[in-house]
Amino acid sequence: MTDAPAADRTLDARGLLCPMPIVKLSKLVKELEPQQVVLLEATDPGAVPDVRAWSKNTGNPVLHQETDGNVMRFWIQKA
Amino acid sequence: MSKLLYVHTGGVNNPERSATPIYLATTAAAMDVEVGIYFTVNGPTLLRRGTAETLIVPKFDGTGAPLRRFIDQAIDLGVKFYVCQPSLDLHGLNREDLIEGVEMIGGAAFNDMALEADQVICF
Repeated sequence: MTDAPAADRTLDARGLLCPMPIVKLSKLVKELEPQQVVLLEATDPGAVPDVRAWSKNTGNPVLHQETDGNVMRFWIQKA
Repeated sequence: MSKLLYVHTGGVNNPERSATPIYLATTAAAMDVEVGIYFTVNGPTLLRRGTAETLIVPKFDGTGAPLRRFIDQAIDLGVKFYVCQPSLDLHGLNREDLIEGVEMIGGAAFNDMALEADQVICF
């Protein structure tokens, strides 16, 4: 993974706990057009394995990921 | 599409056990998994109209959220709720006593769902 791609939408899930980041991500991605990118920001300690599992099952890839203190950022593309 | 079936046996007397199967199923729905919850034994008591609004899913510090919030989230994401008649009889409940959106099934339908599901998860 290289530089962070441009995001079409941002989902601020900071402070939300399981399962809300994934629930909100799922709803938002359903609103997107294929190839659009959402930037998800989360602080749930389980976010990394959860987003990976969600991505694997839904087929929407994580293009890029960053960690900044306790904030994890994921750039996710709608397949 | 993958399929999961949750079996929920916990009831109103164990609020701490009430929400977990529901929010796991919600998460599965968010992962585009076809998911249902079969409420049996004490499970149907959670679905009695008016109950979930006042049943608090507790946190360690005495706070918590009403179960209804978890139920609404699950139904909103497409989780299917099922009950069977004998478990209603166990608690003197009728179909009309339950919240909207619950489907009545029998043992054969449940077993068929279990055979069709990729995994069955019991609580």
